[in-house]
Amino acid sequence: MALLGVLGVTSLVGLAAVVFILLFVISAWLGRPLSVFGYNEGPDQPIAFPHTTHAGSVEDGGIGLDCTFCHRNVTEGAAATVPSVGLCMTCHAVVGDGLAEVEKLREYSAEGTAIDWIRVHRVPDHVRFNHEAHISFFSDQDEILPSAVCATCHGDVATMEKVRQVEPLKMGNCVDCHRDNDAPTDCTTCHY
Amino acid sequence: MALTRRQFLTTVGGGTLGAVIAAACGIPEDELFVQSPAEMPEDMVTGLDNWYATLSHGFPTSEGVVVRVMEGRAKKVEGNVDYPINRGRHSARSEAMLQDLYNPDRIKGPMARVGERGDGNWEEIGWSDAISRVVYQLEQVSAARQNREVVLATGPMVSHAGVVVDKFINAYRGTHIGYEPLENTNLRTVMKNLFGQDRLPDFDIENTNYLLSFGADFLNTWISPVRYMRGYGEFRQGDRERGTLVHIDSRFSMTSANADENVFVKPGREGLLALSMIQVIVSSGLGDPVAARDITGGGAVDLEQWAPENVAEATGVSAEKIKHIAEQFATHRPALAIGGGSAGAHTNGLFNLTAIYSLNYLVGAVNAPGGLIFNPAPATDDLADAEANLKVGSAADWREVIRAMTDGDVKVLMTDGSDPMYGLPGALGLREASYNVPFIFSFASQLDDTTAMSDLVLPAHTSLEEWGTDVPAAGPGHQVVGFQQPVVRPFFEGRGEELGTKSMSDTLMAIAGKLGIDLGLDATDIKGVVENAARALFNENRGSVRADDFRAFWAGVLQRGGWWDTDSVANAGTVTTKQLPANAPAPEFAGPAGSEGSFHLVPFSSTSMGEGQGAHLPWLQATPDPLTSATWQTWVEINHKVAKLRDIREGDVVRVVSAFGGDGITAIAYPHPGVPTDVVSIPLGQGHKAGGRYAEGRGGNALSILADRLDDETGALAWAATRVTIEKVGDWKRLPKFENNNPDFARDENQRIIKITPTDS
Repeated sequence: MALLGVLGVTSLVGLAAVVFILLFVISAWLGRPLSVFGYNEGPDQPIAFPHTTHAGSVEDGGIGLDCTFCHRNVTEGAAATVPSVGLCMTCHAVVGDGLAEVEKLREYSAEGTAIDWIRVHRVPDHVRFNHEAHISFFSDQDEILPSAVCATCHGDVATMEKVRQVEPLKMGNCVDCHRDNDAPTDCTTCHY
Repeated sequence: MALTRRQFLTTVGGGTLGAVIAAACGIPEDELFVQSPAEMPEDMVTGLDNWYATLSHGFPTSEGVVVRVMEGRAKKVEGNVDYPINRGRHSARSEAMLQDLYNPDRIKGPMARVGERGDGNWEEIGWSDAISRVVYQLEQVSAARQNREVVLATGPMVSHAGVVVDKFINAYRGTHIGYEPLENTNLRTVMKNLFGQDRLPDFDIENTNYLLSFGADFLNTWISPVRYMRGYGEFRQGDRERGTLVHIDSRFSMTSANADENVFVKPGREGLLALSMIQVIVSSGLGDPVAARDITGGGAVDLEQWAPENVAEATGVSAEKIKHIAEQFATHRPALAIGGGSAGAHTNGLFNLTAIYSLNYLVGAVNAPGGLIFNPAPATDDLADAEANLKVGSAADWREVIRAMTDGDVKVLMTDGSDPMYGLPGALGLREASYNVPFIFSFASQLDDTTAMSDLVLPAHTSLEEWGTDVPAAGPGHQVVGFQQPVVRPFFEGRGEELGTKSMSDTLMAIAGKLGIDLGLDATDIKGVVENAARALFNENRGSVRADDFRAFWAGVLQRGGWWDTDSVANAGTVTTKQLPANAPAPEFAGPAGSEGSFHLVPFSSTSMGEGQGAHLPWLQATPDPLTSATWQTWVEINHKVAKLRDIREGDVVRVVSAFGGDGITAIAYPHPGVPTDVVSIPLGQGHKAGGRYAEGRGGNALSILADRLDDETGALAWAATRVTIEKVGDWKRLPKFENNNPDFARDENQRIIKITPTDS
């Protein structure tokens, strides 16, 4: 109370705000920002696509699709790629009648327009990240399925109603992992 | 205001804090999307590029290109290393195909005119409506089916689009006229007369030792510049003795700038100069004796009248120089003489080119390595027919068509994007005559000057969306059929069946179908026609692509961008007489005489925009002219000393007036020492009345003030035969250019490095 008397309520609130902002900034600088005010929750997508239903295990009420079923290029090239509307429609032409989000998808398909998903995972433009190299390295080394590698960086997407970023995907992340796995840490490994 | 240390630290600190906070908030959600395309073929992967081979319809010679396509979008054009014409190189014009595809002013669907013709008010209609309107109009004509009731003006094309057009117009007994802005009629006639050839030859610049070029700006715009530039690279820096280039011209062109020696000749006197060289070679016995006897008719032609001393004054070239060049030419084999451009664009153009190309007989450069290489007939029968039926209109032919229009004999005028209303001299009066044509429709993809005057527009695909073939305007000395395939879906496909663009050939075939005309094409669309062509080549079982079954062959020609057979060569044709003309006709000029302070007007094609075909593409507008480095404008090149006498400085806006085309055109003065004193030259390509935001109302169109003087024998337009006066209008505009925007380096006062001798030769 003495402290309150000295500083006054306003100053104390101000101090708390500054501390909070600094915490937020420092957490964002070092990793992911604090999960407040909607930060770190993942964006609302044009279609509320539930990974839980598609990739979640059968025990959890999903249908247990392999990641590579939709993200077809992830084991072959740099980009994991999002599936075309046409690929979604191979199932949803018949599956999901009456579901609002599926109806949205069918509308896109009928009009032949593309879906602009909001990007969740992104490395800066000056970084070259190749999915194929990372997936094959870990699946060979640990003798696991390619789709079991995804969670290393993306977290357990199968349990996310709405996809969010779990790892900071900053250079520190990359370099740590490269060191742990005896991967090269030359600048030109990623910046070229 | 000086920055104090405190202010600096505050700013840096604040900025850093702001940046950190901004970074912590992450990328705004809507900044980056990941797109799920509606449909994605198996071979197309996000983030991976596909390269497809196709053709760029250059003007005039096509180039083989490969196009980088990502996620169904064309991103970059490069030269096709396999294609025999350009062998991996490509022009700025090919590069700008992308802008043709994505042009914001493209016509997005069929349009019908509202209000008066040329007012620019349009109403969008559906394809079925548009086609029935055309069918209705053509049905009116088909009742009478008289000659010339239907006129179809296209670019000169030897291709399967040309086959479709040819068959369609034959069904109406109408006129198909190929439109070429700076026509090569004289050149083609010389090839026929002198060498018995039905098409333009290839010039083996790569293997020649001494190249004598008259007026042909072959390193820049003439006929097939990409091919010639490639050959020129070998000629200069290849694994061989360095070749010598002597360029003779009445203006300072890009080729002049590259020549070992550049000789200015008085306009229209190129032929006389060539005759004088023939005289030197024959009289000194340096030439092939059989050829010397042939071209002089065994002494019947009096060569002595053209001895260098006798022509020095008329040509403006000293006798010593003529002798020197002639001797060098005859003694440095293989030698090659080429001519064209302004040399063939005078009232005596045919004579000029005849004299120039006769030089080749004397040095054995006819159908020989390092000389002229003749091109064989197209590889398939239908293409050979299309070539034989193609009538590339001379100005005289156009005059006839325009007269028929004026008389009301033409009921329907059709045009593709070749835009004759822009490119024909105003003095011929096509625009005025067109008001007497009841129905005009256009297949253009842009609202060019001609399309703007039409009643109905049936918009066409651009090159990157279309199927087709092409036989290059000047082949590489053997048979080539270039294959064009769509590399992207039509850009306006999303607008549905009734709107958007369609291939001109498909539209013509649809119209023919509605009219009940059998074109005899054995296909329902242009893709089918192209496939049939490939089948014919497959059955030949020769050339660059061979396969056991047709599907493999089809994939092969599409992957390589075409089919060619390097073993198919042309023979030297049969020629009745190689004899030179008995006397040298003098050129005639139209407009104010020289004593009234007038100049010869020598227009030239723009490196990038050609004769206006590329004006709607901003990349081409912004490509600097190689000599002046000017962009986006029309300028007039004038001798710097003459300009000084007339108090004309760079940037002064001047009016260029001939006796034709009304008030003339305005252009920005560009004085420079390379221009002969009695010549002004103006680049073509600007001054469009329509054509979208980049082309419209920019600069002046030198073609519009040309006199309708024709070559006496062939009826070709003498586009370098106009004289003009120049007056300042009292305005000043900065010429947008790259050079000299910064102060010059110290000058070479004593001319130790380079000696400039502007017009003394």
